[in-house]
Amino acid sequence: MTSLEATAARYVGARVPRVEDPRLLTGHGTFVDDVTRPGMLHACFVRSPFARARLGRIDATVALDLPGVRAVFAAADLNPGVHEQWYTLIGKDVPDTPRPPLAEGEARFVGDPVALVVATDRYVAEDAADLVDVDYEPLPPVVDYTTALAATELVHEAYPGNLAGALGAPMSEDLAAVFGGAAHVTSATIHQQAYAPVPMETRGMVAEWSGDELTVWSATQAPHEVRMFLARLLGIAEHQVRVIMRDTGGAFGQKVLPLREDMCIALAAMRLPAALKWIEDRRENLLAAGMSRHEHGEAQMAFDGDGRILAAHLDHVQDVGAYPTPWPVGTAMAVGLLFPGPYRVPAAGYRTTSLFSNTSGRTAYRGPWQFESVAREVLLDIAARRMGIDPVDLRRRNLLRHDELPHTNPNGMPYSDMTPIETFEQALGMLDHEAFRREQADARATGRYLGMGTCSYAEPTTSAMAFQGTEGATVRIEPSGKVNVYVAGGSTGNSLETAVVQLTADALGVDIADVRTVQGDTAVTPFGAGTGGSRSGSMLAGAVEESTTVLRERIVTIAAHQLEAAPEDIELADSSARVRGTPAVSVPLAEIADIAYFQPHRLPEGVPPGLEVSARYRARSPLIWANATHLCTCEVDPVTGAVTVLRYIVSEDCGPMINPNVVEGQIAGGSVQGIGGVLYEHLAYDEDGNPLTTTFMDYLLPTATEVPVIEYGHIETPSPGPGGYKGVGEGGAIGAPPAVINAVADALSPLGVEITRLPLTPAAVVALIEGAR
Amino acid sequence: MTVVREIDVEVRVNGAAYRCGVPPRLTLADFLRERCGLTGTHLGCEHGVCGACTVLLDGEAVRSCLVFAVQADGAEVTTVEGMAGPGDELSPVQAAFRDHHGLQCGFCTPGFVVSVTAFLRDHPDPTDEEIRQGLSGNLCRCTGYQGIIAAVRAAAGQHARRGREEPTAAHP
Amino acid sequence: MKPAPFDYLAPTTAEEVVSALVELGDTAKVLAGGQSLVPMLALRLAAFDHLVDIGRVAELRGVERRDGALWVGAGTAQATIERSAEVASAVPLLARATPLIGHFQIRNRGTIGGSLVHADPAAEYPAVALALDAGLEVLGPDGRRTVPATEFFIGLWSTAVGEQELLTGVTFPLWDGRCGFAVREFARRHGDFAVAGAAVALELDGDDRVRRCRIALFGLGSTPERATAAEAAVTGAVVGEVDLEEVGRLAMSSLDSVPSDLHGSSAYRRRVGGSMVARALRAAGEEARGR
Repeated sequence: MTSLEATAARYVGARVPRVEDPRLLTGHGTFVDDVTRPGMLHACFVRSPFARARLGRIDATVALDLPGVRAVFAAADLNPGVHEQWYTLIGKDVPDTPRPPLAEGEARFVGDPVALVVATDRYVAEDAADLVDVDYEPLPPVVDYTTALAATELVHEAYPGNLAGALGAPMSEDLAAVFGGAAHVTSATIHQQAYAPVPMETRGMVAEWSGDELTVWSATQAPHEVRMFLARLLGIAEHQVRVIMRDTGGAFGQKVLPLREDMCIALAAMRLPAALKWIEDRRENLLAAGMSRHEHGEAQMAFDGDGRILAAHLDHVQDVGAYPTPWPVGTAMAVGLLFPGPYRVPAAGYRTTSLFSNTSGRTAYRGPWQFESVAREVLLDIAARRMGIDPVDLRRRNLLRHDELPHTNPNGMPYSDMTPIETFEQALGMLDHEAFRREQADARATGRYLGMGTCSYAEPTTSAMAFQGTEGATVRIEPSGKVNVYVAGGSTGNSLETAVVQLTADALGVDIADVRTVQGDTAVTPFGAGTGGSRSGSMLAGAVEESTTVLRERIVTIAAHQLEAAPEDIELADSSARVRGTPAVSVPLAEIADIAYFQPHRLPEGVPPGLEVSARYRARSPLIWANATHLCTCEVDPVTGAVTVLRYIVSEDCGPMINPNVVEGQIAGGSVQGIGGVLYEHLAYDEDGNPLTTTFMDYLLPTATEVPVIEYGHIETPSPGPGGYKGVGEGGAIGAPPAVINAVADALSPLGVEITRLPLTPAAVVALIEGAR
Repeated sequence: MTVVREIDVEVRVNGAAYRCGVPPRLTLADFLRERCGLTGTHLGCEHGVCGACTVLLDGEAVRSCLVFAVQADGAEVTTVEGMAGPGDELSPVQAAFRDHHGLQCGFCTPGFVVSVTAFLRDHPDPTDEEIRQGLSGNLCRCTGYQGIIAAVRAAAGQHARRGREEPTAAHP
Repeated sequence: MKPAPFDYLAPTTAEEVVSALVELGDTAKVLAGGQSLVPMLALRLAAFDHLVDIGRVAELRGVERRDGALWVGAGTAQATIERSAEVASAVPLLARATPLIGHFQIRNRGTIGGSLVHADPAAEYPAVALALDAGLEVLGPDGRRTVPATEFFIGLWSTAVGEQELLTGVTFPLWDGRCGFAVREFARRHGDFAVAGAAVALELDGDDRVRRCRIALFGLGSTPERATAAEAAVTGAVVGEVDLEEVGRLAMSSLDSVPSDLHGSSAYRRRVGGSMVARALRAAGEEARGR
C-alpha cells in the first residue's frame, strides 16, 4: 500500500530538539512534589533502627498530641485494608515473596516502615515520627547473604534456609565431561557489591480519595500499572483510580512498580479527609528504596587449544534483601540464560539461587540481569591472561558475526539481528587498538599503568510478554489540523514525548511544531505498560504506526474524493494531502478535518466521520535483540589506587535511531551509572546490618569531574519490529561495568593482579596491588 | 518540643517581593516552593550535595536547602523561573542545554541552569577542566554529563575543540 | 529531612553574639555559613533550641593587613578568600587550599571561621592554620584572647572555643623570602573531604637549604596534625636532596589515630598520606627554588 506511506522522513532519524525541554528548563515541569491539593496532608514513616527486631507496642500518644498531627497508622490499621497484592507485570501466579505495607510482627531491615505519621506539613510529621514510641526487641540479623543459606536465623519464617527460590542446576555430567576434556578451563568467583538506581528525584506519591475515586499523582515509570495495582490493593474498580504523572525525575527501574510505601499512602488516603502527600527524602531513598546488583557467581568456561569456547557454566547467587520487588527468582533466571552472551558457545548451563537477608529489598535496576555480562566478560579476560593471549584475540575467535544469525544460544535464547563482532571491531578501530598497546608498553616502561577493557553483550529488549506485549496510541487531528498523540508514556527522562511527536509528524506529513502529545494520565491516555525492559521506542513506534495508518487511509480517501484523484496518487506532506508530482493540487489537512468533523455529508461513502483513531500494536516478535561493545581505557595510580578513565567508546547496534541525541543520551547515562557502580557507588552495611551510605556524602555518585568523554559508534541493523527500531535504554548500564573492570585488570596485569571483587575503590585497588606482591 | 515564634521576612524573588511570617527552620528551598509557589527549585537531597536546589542569593549561587528563609530576609533571590528572557525566551544557558541534549528527566536541570549561569558570569572563557569543576557541585543521573558539558562549552562561546574533549560519532 | 524546630537570633555585633551565647548557654549554636551545620540539622544528627546567626555581623568579615600579618574575619566567605588578590599574594597556602573546599556553591556560603570551628579533621583550613601558626582571635564574656593554632584543635570536631565564645578572626603570619607552598590531597571525588592530605610551607636560604618547614596533615587523625619529625628531617637539608618518599613515611610514623572507614583503612590512609606529603613537598620545594 505505497499510497498510504508518508513522504520521506523529515524528523525521524534527526537530532530533533526535545519537546520536553522548554518546561523543564524554565522550572515549569510538574513533578509529584510540585502537586498541591486543598487541605493536603503530609506523611512521614517511622522506620526501624534495627536490622531485625520483634515489634512490640507502638505508642503514638505523645505524637498525636503534637499540634498539626492528624493520624498515626501502624500495621494493624493499614495492612488489613489489602485486598489483593500482585503486579500486572509479573502476574498473580508466581510464588511471590512477602510484601506487607507496614512491618508486621517483625522489622526486617534498618529502614523497614513500622508506622506512618500524617500531619499538616512534613516538618511536623518528622517531629511526630520522632515521638512515636516503638517497642523493639532486637533479634540477631542475617546480614551476609553469602552465609544466609546455612544461617540458623531466618529473615522470613516461611522460607527455610532463607531461600527465596532457585532455578537451573549445578553442572550436569555431560557438561562436566566437556570441561574434563578441554585444553583450558578457567573458573573464577566474581563478587559484585550492592548499588542502586538513585534517581535524582526520590520516590513520591499524592493520593486523594473523593469517596468515589482515588486520584494519585505518582513518580512512576508505569502509571497504568500503578492504577491496576492500587485498584486491586484497595478492592475498588480500575476506573475508580486515576493515576497522573507528568514528569518523573528519573527512575531506572526503581519506579517501575509501586513499593510498600506507595501501598501505605494509598491505604491511608482512603481513611483521610484530604489528599496525602509522601515525598521520600534522600536518606529514606538510600535506606529503603531498594538495592540492586548484590550478587556473586562462580563462572566457568572451557576452551579448546585455539581458545575457542567449548562450554560455559554459571552458578549465581543473589542477595534479595528482606522485601524484594519484583519476585526476584524470575529476574535472576535471565542472568543464567544470557551468560553465554554474544559468543559461539556450544554448551552451557546455569544455576541461580536467591537468598533473603535483613537488608533493603532487591529492586529492579536498568539491566537487572547485568551480572551475566560482569561474570562472562571478567572471566574471559582472566582466561585470556591465563592462556597467555590478548583478551582482544580471545574475543575475536569467539564473537558471533551478523551473518551467523539467527543463532540460538545453548540456553535457548534465539539471537537475531545483532552485530557482535562488528561492534567489537568498530570500537577497536575507534580506539586504534594496536596504537594503544604500544602506548601502554611505553607507559609501563616508565612505571605508569595503563589498561584497556571491553565488554560485548547481547540484550533482549522489547519483550512481548503479556502486559508488555501490546501498546496503544490515540491520534487526534484537531479541526484546525493540529495533531495530538495520546500514549501511556510519561516523561521520566526517556524522551518519549519527543519520540512520538517525531514519529507522528512524519507519519502524517505535518510540521513537528503542529504535533503535541498527552501522556501520563490514565484517565485520558490509552492503556500501556510504561517504560521498562527497553521497550518504549519500538512499542510506541508500533502504536503510532497502527493508529496513523488508519488515519492516513481516511485522510487519503477524503482527499482523493475532494481532488478527484486516485487514492494511490495522494501523498501527505506539509500539512496537506496532494497529488504526487503535482503538489499544487492539494487540500490542507485543516480542510479535511473540517469535512471530517463538521461536514460529514461531504465524506465519501463508507468513511467514518472525525479524524481521531485509537489503535493498538501487538509486538511482532517475542524479543528484539540489541547489542553493543563498550571499550574503556584507564590509568591506575599505583600509590593511591585511583583509577582515571581515559577514553570510553561505545559501539552499539540499536537499529535505526529515531533520535540520535536520545540514543546517545541513554547510552551515556547508562554507561556513567555503570562506571559509578565499579568505581564509586556502594550501598554498604556493617556487620550488624546498619547501613553506612544513607547520604550523598557517603553514597558517591559520579560527578562531571569523574566521567570521561563518551565516544559513540553506531551500527544500524534493523530489527523485525516497526521501523527496525530496538531498545536502548538499559544497555549502557550493562556494558560499562565489565569494560571498566577489565581496563583496570589490564592496567595491573604486570603486577599479577586478578580482579574478582567489587567495587574498585582506590583502597581496594591498593589492596589488590599489595596482595599480588 | 520547643514552641517557636514565626519571624517576618521579606525576600525579593525574581523581582517580586514576598513578605510573610516563617518558622525559623523553614529552608529557603521550602520557602520558594511552598510560600512563593516557585516549584522549579527542586529538592534532591536536602543536605547540600546534589545541587538541584541551587538559586542565586544576592547574585551568588547557593544551595537553598542549606539556607534558612530567615537568613534571606532582605535579600534578592533568583530561581530558575527567573532565568528566561521576556516572552519565555530561553536564556543562552537554557538554550544551550536544549541544543546539546543537556537534560533528560529534567529534575536536576534547574540547579544546573542556575549554577552554570553564575559560573559563566564569573568564568566567561573557561577551560574544559574549569567547566568540569564548575559542574561538579551538581549531580545528574540521566545524562552522564556529556550533553551538559557540551552545553556549557557552547554557552561559553568556546570554539569546538577537536580531540579528546570532543565527543565523536562513527558510522560504518 | 527537615530540621527540628529552633528559635533564631541575628545579632549585628560580636558583643551581642557573645551576650546571646552567655544567656542561652548550651541550648544555642552559632550559625555561620551553615554548610556543615545545616546538613546535620536536616539529618537531625544535631538539634539546638536556638541558632545565633552571625551572618549579619559586618565586623566579622574582611581581609586586611594588620601588624605585618594578614587578618581574615571569621565570617569571611571562602569564595571571598578565593577571589582575594591580597590573600593570594600574602598567604598563598590559604589561597591554594580554598578551591579544594567543596564546590563553588558551598564556598559562596561557607566561611573560614565556620570551617575552623567545625574542625573537621579532614578539612583543609584547619591544616592551613596549623601549618602557618595562625592566631585565632576569640571573643568571650571576659574579652578577647588569641589562641595559637597549635592549641586550637583539641579533638574530633572540637576546638578551644568555649560555649560562650565566638571566633572573630584569624591572623596569618606572612612568610617572606624564598618560600614555597603547596596543598595536596586525595579525595574520592573532586570536592569531597580528603581521604588524606598535606599542607606544606617551605622557606629556603640562599643555598637551597631548608630554613623553615611546616607540614600539616589532614584526614589522618581526630584533629589536623603537624608532622614535626618530618619537618625536622627536612630542615637544614638541601631541598633537592631530600628523599621525599622517606619524609612522607616519617610524617606518617608518629600518627596514632589514623581513621578507618569505607573509603580506606588506617594503613591505606598512611600510604596515601605519605604520598601527599611527598607530592606537596616536591611542589613547594620547586616553587621556593624558583624564587
